Amino acid sequence: MATALLSSELRELYNSESARIQQDFAASGDGCQAVLRRARLLDQVITRLYEKLLSPEAGATGNFVLAAIGGYGRSWLFPYSDVDLLFLHAGRETETQLKDGIRSFSQELWDLGIKLSPASRTLAECDRFDPNNVESLIALLDCRYLAGNRELFTQLRDRVVPRMVTRESQAIVQRLVEITRSRHAKQGDTVFHLEPNVKDAPGGLRDYNVANWLALIAALDKLQNWPERETLLPASMRRQVNAGLEFLTSVRCFLHFRHSRDDNTLSWSAQDEAAARRIGVSSEHELTAAGWMRLYFQHARGVHRIGLQLLDEVPAAWSSLYRQFQTWRSRISTPEFSVVHGMVFLQQAAALQDPETLLRLFHFVAHHGVKLSTTTEQRIEQALPAIAATPPRGAELWIYLQEILLQPHAAEALRAMHALRFLTLVLPELKAIDTLVVRDFYHRFTVDEHTFLAIEALHRLKPSPSEWDQRYAALLSELEQPELLYLAILLHDIGKGAAGSDHVTAGLEIAAHCLERLDLEPQDRETVCFLIAHHLAMSAALRRDIFDPETVGAFAEMVKSPERLKMLCLLTYADIKAVNPEALTPWKAENIWQLYIETANHMSLSLDQRLHEGSEDEDQILRMLSPVAGKKLKGFLEGLPRRYLATCAAKDVLAHVEMAARLKSDPVQVALERGRHWFDLTVVTPDRPMLFAKMTGVLAAWGMSIVKANAFSNAAGVVVDTFHFTDRFRTLELNLPEWDRFKRSIADVLNGRADLDKMLRDRLRPGREPAARTKIETRLDFNDTSSSRCTVLQIIAQDRPGLLFRVSSALSREKCNIEIALIDTEGEMAIDVFYLTSKGQKLTADQEKGLRKALEEELQEI
Amino acid sequence: MTKIEAIIRTSKLDAVKDALHEIGVEGMTVLEVRGHGRQKGHTEFYRGQEYTVDLIPKTKLELVLADELVEKAVQAIANAARTGKIGDGKIFLSRVDDAIRIRNEERGETAL
Repeated sequence: MATALLSSELRELYNSESARIQQDFAASGDGCQAVLRRARLLDQVITRLYEKLLSPEAGATGNFVLAAIGGYGRSWLFPYSDVDLLFLHAGRETETQLKDGIRSFSQELWDLGIKLSPASRTLAECDRFDPNNVESLIALLDCRYLAGNRELFTQLRDRVVPRMVTRESQAIVQRLVEITRSRHAKQGDTVFHLEPNVKDAPGGLRDYNVANWLALIAALDKLQNWPERETLLPASMRRQVNAGLEFLTSVRCFLHFRHSRDDNTLSWSAQDEAAARRIGVSSEHELTAAGWMRLYFQHARGVHRIGLQLLDEVPAAWSSLYRQFQTWRSRISTPEFSVVHGMVFLQQAAALQDPETLLRLFHFVAHHGVKLSTTTEQRIEQALPAIAATPPRGAELWIYLQEILLQPHAAEALRAMHALRFLTLVLPELKAIDTLVVRDFYHRFTVDEHTFLAIEALHRLKPSPSEWDQRYAALLSELEQPELLYLAILLHDIGKGAAGSDHVTAGLEIAAHCLERLDLEPQDRETVCFLIAHHLAMSAALRRDIFDPETVGAFAEMVKSPERLKMLCLLTYADIKAVNPEALTPWKAENIWQLYIETANHMSLSLDQRLHEGSEDEDQILRMLSPVAGKKLKGFLEGLPRRYLATCAAKDVLAHVEMAARLKSDPVQVALERGRHWFDLTVVTPDRPMLFAKMTGVLAAWGMSIVKANAFSNAAGVVVDTFHFTDRFRTLELNLPEWDRFKRSIADVLNGRADLDKMLRDRLRPGREPAARTKIETRLDFNDTSSSRCTVLQIIAQDRPGLLFRVSSALSREKCNIEIALIDTEGEMAIDVFYLTSKGQKLTADQEKGLRKALEEELQEI
Repeated sequence: MTKIEAIIRTSKLDAVKDALHEIGVEGMTVLEVRGHGRQKGHTEFYRGQEYTVDLIPKTKLELVLADELVEKAVQAIANAARTGKIGDGKIFLSRVDDAIRIRNEERGETAL
């Protein structure tokens, strides 16, 4: 009867006080007050019940204590969180004696609607370390006396727990780090979710607790005793973390009250309401949901950063393996930057006044995948106002930025730059997408994080074991200017921050300003803009029938060059992958790849479509060029394949026109330049038999290795051949006078003044070349249907010196005229496509047979 | 009630959806699937390497309808998805015993 009376009394107390806490929170929005008051309320209820059911006065044993652990132990009890209670017994006998009492005690709490999470243990059990249940030990770190034998509690708190923590600190920390990392991994390792879980997501309340536990364990291990809780974290961290804790606590309280259960997901509707009620915000300003979410991300980012730092630093103090690894890491220190425990420090604090040092610092991060130390971050924050007055821009900025983008840890560096507001200082265009939440059913991350993830997706292709990733990694390694692709990814969704529904058009406008400020070369700008403008085109094409030649043809027409096709394909792959972890299904990966190879094949088989009036893009190029080149241009372009304009930059076309105009005075025009990856040789000359073969022969005789080549001719019989080659013996690289001799020898051979055979005899002696690392089967494919005028021959063969010379000589000997040649090399594989005619016609079946035999013999011989 | 499972070309999804909406079908489930029928896929060559496409990406629709709507829906799907070439897909019909709306536990055709 007495118990029943107490029950109704407690129910009255619990319900009325709970309602008051909720009302007060609704009025003040103060979450810290609410969680503290709820813990106090529980203390009251529990001690009253203890007195009635479990105390010595109630006839129970005195060898027992009731302790609050976990969140309740910290007096940080959220409205619908579990209440963690420890029933601690001096020995087995009290456990048996109190069994019934504890059962009714727990029942009473359950009946009040309190979610109890009880643990019943003896002191000896608490002293036993169970590596599989480190969580229960961690809960003891927050134990707090509630009722019962105080002496017993003191033994637990002052003897058992510190002793256990010091003894097992390494294992505890290791496990805690494992649990935390796996929780982060489940959440995509990012703070920037569109609908984050305020408890479990990186930067959530759980991370705050982990940071505290790590600091506490480290301090316990050092002092062998309990440290002051308030000073556990260094002052610099505390400020940031405490602001985060207050905000997140209010948000979680709000969510609990809103959902009437322990549901911590900040859904879109919850975001709207939180913004309208200004949860966690002290100012009176009106806030949009997006604006309020920016505050959330700001706090979560701070908590996450400190959590990560401790996750790195604390285990380092114990693990010898980790220390070795870190010592190795510290070997990467430079005169400018030193690395300690995986954290970068500045060797000279004042150096940051120079923005270039800052850019080099982020390049260092992008290269090595190390993190900035807290001191370095503070130094950067202090230096930024001065840098903001004259931020780096133009080519100077682009040189550094492209190097950062190309490094394997580019995404990490970009995130660090972004968190410190340096990225938006140098690229203010990105401000509009800073922690921007755009609500749709597919994206899981904010726009800026989606962008970084896409860049990361490309960098992770190479080390990935997945078959799909490997295919795309090969494509990435073939790109001539991957930095343009990375820049396009960085800017591809920039328009999402602008008003209006068409983010692509808006983005292009913003990107144009950005590219101008970066002072990119005009053709590079065009490539980046093309990629931004068409970043959804491949996904759109996938909704059509990709096995239909018309779809493929139209797509190829839009993309124009194989280089752009590769970039667009990689952009699409990375963009989808960064939407959410499940977005890139094998179904999609297969479809993208299918469309890619169909289009690539289509491009090499439809090369000989001639230039014609009426195509908008080409008209535009012609209009752009004609004031400079005038009539000469029209005559020169007449009859050249459309591919020519698609692959040549405007300035190259102009150079070719000029070279063609000089042919009257000198019939062999040769231009040689050193490009970024290889040497570029252009020869403009009237067509003649064996021309292509002779040129490849000269290159072979000089020991040059042809990587790519194009051969085109116009209606007037003028040939434009470009060769991109590497200088295997560094002849040109080391001897400037050799440039002229090299160019002269080409002209001499073409004009019949030098003996090519003699030049070649020495160079192509068998047995001089190292053995191939991979064996590539020779394949010869004739195609009579894809071109209306020519027979298309594709040759795949093991690349080797002089290969192209032998092939093109054999073609000439078989009386084949090379109308177009497209030469490519990938690793040790040569991929050569020739458009052939014989006496102006396609090859006959007999000619093909004869040619196949000749080529097979020629290729076998080498 | 009958369940319709239709495997169609992905490029025909929009046309099929529109056709179904026109005859008053509102709900459906769309899945990305891969498979092959009698045509057994094909081999592609890209730069000398063979890529066998033995499982072709297709789209699968699933819908459960009251019996009187079924024949109309089948016609709508077939007409919208047909190109006349190999690989247009298939439609399967099967009986459904019951349907339950989870929200309010309505049963039978009213739950559809």
